Amino acid sequence: MAERNFEVELGRMFAEAPAMGDSDFFALRVDERLRRGWTLRRTLIGGMGLAGGVVGGAQILGGGLVERLGRATTDAGGELTGRVVDFVENSLMPQAFPMNAEIIWFAAAAAAAAIAFAITRVVREF
Amino acid sequence: MAESTPARASAHDLELVALTATGGRDAFGELIRRHGSAVRGLLRRMGADGALADDLAQDAFLAAFQQISDFRGEGTFQAWVKRIAARLYVKRWRREAKTAAMLLAADDGLSTAGELISDERIDLDDALKGLPAPERLCVCLCYGAGLSHVEAAEALNAPLGTVKSHVKRGLDRLRRRLAPGRQFSPAEADANG
Repeated sequence: MAERNFEVELGRMFAEAPAMGDSDFFALRVDERLRRGWTLRRTLIGGMGLAGGVVGGAQILGGGLVERLGRATTDAGGELTGRVVDFVENSLMPQAFPMNAEIIWFAAAAAAAAIAFAITRVVREF
Repeated sequence: MAESTPARASAHDLELVALTATGGRDAFGELIRRHGSAVRGLLRRMGADGALADDLAQDAFLAAFQQISDFRGEGTFQAWVKRIAARLYVKRWRREAKTAAMLLAADDGLSTAGELISDERIDLDDALKGLPAPERLCVCLCYGAGLSHVEAAEALNAPLGTVKSHVKRGLDRLRRRLAPGRQFSPAEADANG
């Protein structure tokens, strides 16, 4: 019985928080680290987005997409419709996506994102 | 993070947690102000020096912020963060490969001061400092951070029996040091609890 009472008393003593006069300063330091973390995360995401955009843009330009679109918009009537259908069939349908440079770049970007996610999880765990 | 306002200061922890979950950093700041000292105090009682205790307490609050949606309100917010902080401290010990050797050591590191002052009443902090490191860590995990023996054993990666014996020996020593010759009556315990 005395042992149980002592355990209760010990729990109470542990629950008594020691007074520390710098609670506001401590809270500010945590907030600063939170803000820094978000800034770093935003920078990282923004940087990856920019890099992805540049790579994607380069691939689109290099693949002649703009030129094809330009040709399609300059043609009239049935010619335009035919070209649009042709463009969709040739460029957007799944079977029109063989393993080419674009696919490889997109796969690489997805893999990089997955690795970054895994690293952040590992860092959080350890 | 703005300073504490009367509205936030009077809000219940659960309200602040809910606000934090929706991205309210100010609400989280109030939680840190309320419970920061307790978390830092626990880490110091576990054996961390002031700077390390502050660093780990910051890490614990950052982790709590990131996992705030995991807090279900089953216990208090303070207890939840204390558990996170205690586990971070143990993790650090394990990373430095100290825990295993420390837990295997019998009574190495026992402070003689703790034995010498056993005829006078001392406070909890002093009493804990007089414990061997394994007992101190195990007692703090179970009674300060609220971990069960099983959870403490898992956190320490130590056998359950070892943790139990450290806790028991630690409690025996603490009882002798905190109140020599004194019995903790149920009435007193109830009044204090």
